[in-house]
Amino acid sequence: MSIPLGHYLILAAILFTVGLAGALTRKNAIIVLMGIEVMFNSAILNLVAFWHYKHFAVPTAQLFAIFAIAIAAAESAIGLALVIAVYRHYQSVDVDEMQELKG
Amino acid sequence: MNFAFWIISAVTVLGALLAVTLRNLVHCVLALILFFIGIAAHYFLLRADFLGTVQILIYVGAVAVLILFAIMLTHNVTGTEGPREVLGLKWWSGAAIAAVLAILLKKAILSDPLATLLPAGDKAQTSVAEIGKVLVAGWVVPLEAIAVLLTAALIGAVVIALEEIRKSR
Amino acid sequence: MWIAAFLIPIGFIFGVYLTIFAFTTLVERKALGRIQNRYGPNRVGPFGILQPMADGLKILLKEDIVPRAADKFSHFLAPVLIVVPGLLVYLVVPVAPGMVAVDLKIGVLFALAVGTVSVIALFMAGWASRNKFSLLGAMRAVAQVVSYEVPTVMAGVAVIMAAGTLSTLTIVERQGGGILNISNWYVFRPWGLVGFVLFVIGGLAESARCPFDLPEAESELIGGYHTEYSGFKFALFQMGEYLAGMAMAGVTVTLFLGGYMGPGSGPGLVGGVIAMLWFFSKLAGMIMLNIWIRGTWPRLRVDQLMGFAWKVLLPLALVNIVAIGFWHFLTPRPLAWVVTTGWLAIWVVVLTKCNAGAALEKREYRFT
Repeated sequence: MSIPLGHYLILAAILFTVGLAGALTRKNAIIVLMGIEVMFNSAILNLVAFWHYKHFAVPTAQLFAIFAIAIAAAESAIGLALVIAVYRHYQSVDVDEMQELKG
Repeated sequence: MNFAFWIISAVTVLGALLAVTLRNLVHCVLALILFFIGIAAHYFLLRADFLGTVQILIYVGAVAVLILFAIMLTHNVTGTEGPREVLGLKWWSGAAIAAVLAILLKKAILSDPLATLLPAGDKAQTSVAEIGKVLVAGWVVPLEAIAVLLTAALIGAVVIALEEIRKSR
Repeated sequence: MWIAAFLIPIGFIFGVYLTIFAFTTLVERKALGRIQNRYGPNRVGPFGILQPMADGLKILLKEDIVPRAADKFSHFLAPVLIVVPGLLVYLVVPVAPGMVAVDLKIGVLFALAVGTVSVIALFMAGWASRNKFSLLGAMRAVAQVVSYEVPTVMAGVAVIMAAGTLSTLTIVERQGGGILNISNWYVFRPWGLVGFVLFVIGGLAESARCPFDLPEAESELIGGYHTEYSGFKFALFQMGEYLAGMAMAGVTVTLFLGGYMGPGSGPGLVGGVIAMLWFFSKLAGMIMLNIWIRGTWPRLRVDQLMGFAWKVLLPLALVNIVAIGFWHFLTPRPLAWVVTTGWLAIWVVVLTKCNAGAALEKREYRFT
């Protein structure tokens, strides 16, 4: 397979901007969280691409990626729990309605 | 195997695009699952098969189910559609920021000589034993820290999502 | 040439395992019938042998009803997503020396990871039907499958630690040797026995079979997540569930019961055929064990089910991992046996005593 590294980096950049656009434009809080997951995954793909092309001998980057996946999963769990708690209060998951910090 | 890269990339980008643009929330999650599986396929292509399997196990098996549960617990009686989106200033500004970022990143990537680096030949998949040795050799403290983090996240998520029930009693 | 190397294992999987599925439905009904003191199906052909064909024909000819308010895309996709992971697991189950469809270096992890994808399909089936009972059944099914995955995977981790590899073919080869090729099976080690019990229970729970079949109990939830499905889609749900159960049985045989190892199995044609016979008889034994458990034990309530997974099985799985650690590092073998067996026995007693709950008092009957 003779794909230059730049192709992987551009793929990760495209995925990152798609996720960013989703997180910025959508009204539903859950889709914002999904956009954040897309951004996480594109960053980890970037990391693994660099590992493959430059440091293939030592698999430390895979370990880094596994830790990053674990952290992303923990963050999405807390984020979704917060969305559920906010839904109970505002009765909607529209981010435009969540304007006040005081309940 | 070049065509494998292009096909998997197309599937992954399609999954990500559908995940942030579809109306129906459950369809968005299905597109997100397609995206996750596309990323896992990229990991297999990059010879990181343990990572690819962990990606499927954690993201498709746990995070997607979590998102589905959250959708189920927060849907109004009317159905799965979120509130109707309007193409207002917020949409255009968000899309514009993302497009500008995409162009800047592309310029930054292509201007670096690293971008034309080619892989050195056909390589074998990394074995899990090597990952295990690297983990135990120097990275035990991050492992324990991740364990504490996951425990805290578990307890925290349960407490946050549960609290209203206790109060209402 | 490489297409042939591709198509033969896939053809084998489809041909053999789908036929086994068809006859398992018949054998299950006859065995359940005998347990319940009646004959099973015996009208269609001698001993009811043609019953699966009759069932297949009936199901294909039934009308496919889709509820008007249902989400058509998810409603259509859910049965497909249940069958596909069940079939994918067979790719890494070795049936004879050197005969595994794909020899992945991460075989066991692949089987377990693919098993987790079926959870999405359960949820989609319940959600797409726009039916409150379906949704409730789907939630219970998802909670059950996700909770029982954890002790199952950890029981598998003990075997991986013992064999030192994730490749299923190598795990089976490690269980060869010994007396008659039998004494090295992992089920005959203390940690292997506990792991085997955990894996069997987890396998029953993951394919939602009795005693864990609350998600689809007809007296509880009308049908759970597959209430609104009729015709061929319902048949696909049943097929997915049976295939998942048989796949878990196959993985149990590979990890704990020595796969294709038995007296007489070895490389070469005769050894290979004997090995295949051993594998399929062990698989048949595990399927019969599942059917026997289904016919004899009552259903668990949902809180008992979840409590069992999190309070008994998960600590036991973690203790099992410590036990295999003892086994690996204590070098005199008799000492390793004694310490491991003692450690596991203490924990089994402690966990069952802590979780016993209130014992029911002896009932006094007014009218005897």
